[in-house]
Amino acid sequence: MRRARLIALGAACATITVAMFISAHVVGGQSEAASSPTAQVYNPYPPGILPSDLSSETARVQREVDLIEERALARWHTLKKPILTGQPPVLQNTGTEAIETLGELMLYDNKISPGKNLACASCHMPYAGFSGPIPSVNLTMVAFPGTVHFRAGKRTPQRHPYAPFFPVLQYNQAQGLFFGGNFWDSRATGYKLRVPDAEQAQGPPVDTQEMGFPDTACIAFRLSQAVYRPLFEEVWGAGSFDIKFPRETDRICATPGGAAVFGGNTTPVPLSAGDRTRANIVYDRWAQSIDSFEQSVQVSAFSSKFDAFLAGKYTLTADEMAGFKLFNGRGNCNSCHLDGRGTTLKSDQADTSAAAMVNPLFTCFGSANEGVPLNPADAFYYQTKPDSYGFIANPYGFGYRDLGLGSFLRSAFGSGPNPNASWKQYAPTVDGQMQVSSVRDVASTPPQCPSTEAPGPYFQKAFFHNGYFKSLKQVVHFYNTRDKYAYPVTSGHCPKGTTEKVDCWPMPEVRNNIDMTSGNLGLTDEEENQIVAFLQTLSDGFTRPYLNNDTYTGACMKGGSASTQGNEHLIPTPPLPPCASTICGVAPVPSPSIP
Amino acid sequence: MSGALAILAISVLSCSLFGQVSPTTPQAPRVRIIEAPKVELARDYLTIIRWTTNNPGGSPLHYGVVHYGTDPHNLNETAKSPIRLNPDHPSTVFRVRLDDLKPQTIYYYTVDSMQASGKSDEVKSPVNHFTTP
Repeated sequence: MRRARLIALGAACATITVAMFISAHVVGGQSEAASSPTAQVYNPYPPGILPSDLSSETARVQREVDLIEERALARWHTLKKPILTGQPPVLQNTGTEAIETLGELMLYDNKISPGKNLACASCHMPYAGFSGPIPSVNLTMVAFPGTVHFRAGKRTPQRHPYAPFFPVLQYNQAQGLFFGGNFWDSRATGYKLRVPDAEQAQGPPVDTQEMGFPDTACIAFRLSQAVYRPLFEEVWGAGSFDIKFPRETDRICATPGGAAVFGGNTTPVPLSAGDRTRANIVYDRWAQSIDSFEQSVQVSAFSSKFDAFLAGKYTLTADEMAGFKLFNGRGNCNSCHLDGRGTTLKSDQADTSAAAMVNPLFTCFGSANEGVPLNPADAFYYQTKPDSYGFIANPYGFGYRDLGLGSFLRSAFGSGPNPNASWKQYAPTVDGQMQVSSVRDVASTPPQCPSTEAPGPYFQKAFFHNGYFKSLKQVVHFYNTRDKYAYPVTSGHCPKGTTEKVDCWPMPEVRNNIDMTSGNLGLTDEEENQIVAFLQTLSDGFTRPYLNNDTYTGACMKGGSASTQGNEHLIPTPPLPPCASTICGVAPVPSPSIP
Repeated sequence: MSGALAILAISVLSCSLFGQVSPTTPQAPRVRIIEAPKVELARDYLTIIRWTTNNPGGSPLHYGVVHYGTDPHNLNETAKSPIRLNPDHPSTVFRVRLDDLKPQTIYYYTVDSMQASGKSDEVKSPVNHFTTP
């Protein structure tokens, strides 16, 4: 009897063991199947959010990225081998070009994503001034799709030329202002690498809705397999990749971040402490290499008409000069977008002043809330359901509010951790503020689509952090008339008889801390156009060709008016639920409270 | 002229050498209103008060401040809005938003401005009034 029981118990154990084995195998199989980020398309979006050509346009950009990568590889092979010499050792003669080329190769590497389908450049192409390269995305969902089709981020891809010049984020106590950092909300502070642009480059590769690796070690892993690994080792040292990656690294790194299988673990690649440190160093080198490329004269080129004008080699047209005067004068644009010039022109003056700064950057490195309306087309609002990996980007839907710098200082939902607790107290004074980007290259477009403005032929861009504006005319008109045509409505609900963006501006998404320097400037229609004409003088590529500006293979758009450009894609904002407590309820809470 | 050059030099140096500041202008000895406060916009959801002073200088971020209320002897509400000084401009326009006032109500107000630190520019304006729609 006892023996029979033992046999039965043994059989039961064997059954359970076999079942566990099968179960583990099946789970493993599911995990393998789930490791392809394109396994199942994620589409929680109502009609009108995803553009109909999204798949073909994504493929088009991937081809263009690959082409530029091939060019960079060819350039690398023509580089003379640097000589490491001196004390401290320097890669003499070609060290600069070597590290910049390395950064370029990284920036255009589609393999730096779980699906090997997304590079940094997929959202930042040179022909768009390194902003979003898909016109239909700029026109609709605004945030670009990531490695998992179609998770998407929450903001427009910010232009990165001249971003390397932003200083480490600091609160200037005398001026009562934050200066520096990178990203729209300045969350790449530079606190550790001391270069915000480099720390910015460490964000998207592990952003769940962008390149989407589950672990920063995956970047070291993929770089160790890159064809340009010898260049990396030449620049950063031969032992850089002496890291023992376990066998499962390939599978882990092919699974996007946020997948339920990771259980919230942000270091799922099992590395020894020493190897983890070496992988972290590789990730820092990644960041510094990309920063070197973005800071190079190939990207931050200072090659615009305006630069030629400063050098006395270009005469601004009458409209460009009028726009320049307005930019500094009644438009008051240069109270934040500093032009570095020596004087403000009176109406009867010609500009004869010498350049006050050699390379004016057209930013004060600060942040401001301009009172931009909420853009209901932003794909982020709709990602409320789990994708096939069990990941939810935005559980709050339209309860999400973009408080920009304020959310960052609070380490609130939608931003990153704030490394400086002493800054947190200032959050209510900066709610709604976004970085004052350089206006250089704001008007950059592919050569065959020479404008951002209808009737064109034009290249459709999206402006500001949430892409609400579809033309520079609309941007300038907003600064000019935001308060004159203010209505207490959300986008898509302007009163009958008015036209949104023409004589109706919906209410701000965040009405705290709205900058009142502009909003009712009294500019005429012609004067607005002149400011646009001046902004167009800030596009790089005038004094010499802009690297890889010739790679756009998509179509230009034609027709319509810059004032109403994109209005056919306006959708009504749904009734807004209260702001989520993980955003607006985090101390110190916004003052006044945000509904 | 030499004063203007000095201001320019300060502006340029402060921007190009230190980076993490906006160009500043020296603080004006006295801040005066040169265009009186008035209602720029009066809607049922938003009122904007606007006035102009000489450029107060000091911190590049300034706040326009409106003290207001329904009793001219008790202006117990305060609204403030940030603006950026333009160091090249001789004057500065302040504009302040007052949200969600009561309809068809007489409001009394005075204005002031202050630096980012909260230090008042010591502007004095008489008590004005307006009626909301």
